[in-house]
Amino acid sequence: MLRRTFLQSVAAAGALAMMPMGIRSSFAAQAGAVSVKDLPALEGDLTLYLGRGEGGLYEKVLEAIRQRNPKLNLQIRRGATAALANTIVAESQAGVRRADLFWAVDTGSIGMITDAGLAQPLPDDLSEQLKPGFRYPRWSPVTGRIRTLPYNTQRLTAEQVPGDIMALADSDLSIGWAPAYASFQSFLTAMRILEGEKATLSWLKGVSRHAKSYAGELGVVMAVERGEVDVGFANHYYTLRLKAGKPDANVDLAYTKSDAGCLVNASGILALSEGDLPVNFMRYLLSAEVQAYLSSEAYEIPLVNGVKAPQGLPDLASLTPPDLDLRKLADLRPTLNLMREAGVL
Amino acid sequence: MSSYTSYKSLCAAIALGLSVSTLSFNAQANGEITDQVNHLKDHLGEYSEEVTWLNDKYDALVTRYETDGAKAVDTQKLLDYWEEVNFHSAIETQYIPLYATIWQNIYGIKTSIENGDDAQQVRQHQQALTQTFWQALGAVKLAAHYQDKGVIDKVKTTDTAPTTGPAVITDIEKRLDKVVAKYAEQLKEVATTMVHDTYMERFEGIEGALIEQDASLVEALEKDFNVTLPQAIENGKSVDEVRGIIDDMKQKLGKAQTLLEKAEQNRKDVF
Repeated sequence: MLRRTFLQSVAAAGALAMMPMGIRSSFAAQAGAVSVKDLPALEGDLTLYLGRGEGGLYEKVLEAIRQRNPKLNLQIRRGATAALANTIVAESQAGVRRADLFWAVDTGSIGMITDAGLAQPLPDDLSEQLKPGFRYPRWSPVTGRIRTLPYNTQRLTAEQVPGDIMALADSDLSIGWAPAYASFQSFLTAMRILEGEKATLSWLKGVSRHAKSYAGELGVVMAVERGEVDVGFANHYYTLRLKAGKPDANVDLAYTKSDAGCLVNASGILALSEGDLPVNFMRYLLSAEVQAYLSSEAYEIPLVNGVKAPQGLPDLASLTPPDLDLRKLADLRPTLNLMREAGVL
Repeated sequence: MSSYTSYKSLCAAIALGLSVSTLSFNAQANGEITDQVNHLKDHLGEYSEEVTWLNDKYDALVTRYETDGAKAVDTQKLLDYWEEVNFHSAIETQYIPLYATIWQNIYGIKTSIENGDDAQQVRQHQQALTQTFWQALGAVKLAAHYQDKGVIDKVKTTDTAPTTGPAVITDIEKRLDKVVAKYAEQLKEVATTMVHDTYMERFEGIEGALIEQDASLVEALEKDFNVTLPQAIENGKSVDEVRGIIDDMKQKLGKAQTLLEKAEQNRKDVF
């Protein structure tokens, strides 16, 4: 169901992008993107635990919210997302609650908090602003990122890149990957859930025979561009950013179909304390302005209806992400066990 | 750094915040760093005495080597003396490049004795160490002065991450200085882990923005972080060679900082 509804929503977004500006604005308003001009002022004390994000752009958003709401006393604790999630659970077990909100860069950590029963329910009108398939009762996705196959355009055409992620294991393509990277491990967790442990282990062993490891996924994309490997596994924005800095880069994006290879993962936020203030703060992150800013500046995919996707992302209507509750990506341990068994960690 | 010009550079470096006081110091390889480092002025007399004591100890040890040979000398003492003093954490937290040089010279004496080198060669290392101790004392005095005036940050006991691209670069540079120091202490694994953590926790967060500005610069730094520097440490290159790689990286990081500052200025407003 998720794949179908996502397709409908991205098709709508694609059609929207072609409309004249005036009509587009009015449609956007109907579809749910709310301007900060229509949001209530934020007043009072709020503590946010913030997982490390996109090189300071989340900070710019937070600073802008602060400036717009001078009566808001926003305290921020920063750290690695997983470490903050552990802290929240540990604080709860100790009978303490220091954070009112948790903004995480991955849904695995969100799942840890919702599974522990610590997240507050969200009002329907907030969730309904989000694209169908990204509506959850106790947390809200903020922006998305899609798994892609960056490929070297001097060596391959898009048609030569397998449309089935599982087929990469048996291909004769040289592959770049970053097994220690959190996004890769989330993608592999999705594969384990969708295809099963046996198939995932076999895939890992197959790919590792013709894969070269890199520390991070930007490194993977750059290696693809240099021609060090034919194809890689990486989130979409690395390639878009590389091409923004180097328009003639020898790299483009290919997508698999309806499998973990085109998983759409998200950053997300949840409220740990009751009341309007945490929820209204979340509304600012889902506002048309913040969504557009993160799309244009961080190349993240807006998940609120009516906001344009980042420049350079291919036809969104052609994407077919798998049907998966993103919170399940929190179950990382069996994935790491498989990676160790395959000798890639 | 013995000339007046070098001294002026040191003053400028400390005044401009090139000390490591914004880094977190928790449990270190050489023991806990206490809050004493935030009250340097109260301990300057003690530090002066310690530097004199250290110089006497190293001089005596080298003299024993000159007169009685290697068997008369316990080279482990060279490390123990330095780890015993409070001045150790004062310079480690305030000016890490000199801290690294101290370790480099201590190991210079140790290796030279263990190799059975000519006494004159050992003495050269010891004289270089003496000179570095005095420079380090000068740096700590200067830091105490600035600390007293409230113009340098307190040494942090908890981790606070920098929040802008340019601030991240400054933090990376300080971390790389610490890599040299740990390598000079012959803590290879600690140094390697620090390189990896600096890449994952800091550089990785800014390289997306940086690649939009200069892809080849990111490519070069990627190679430095993931190949050149870890391999130099792994292969046991000299401290000077590792320092040279890091100096080269810092030049690139300086360029990156300028680019990110410019990009920040041109970035559109959120609202």
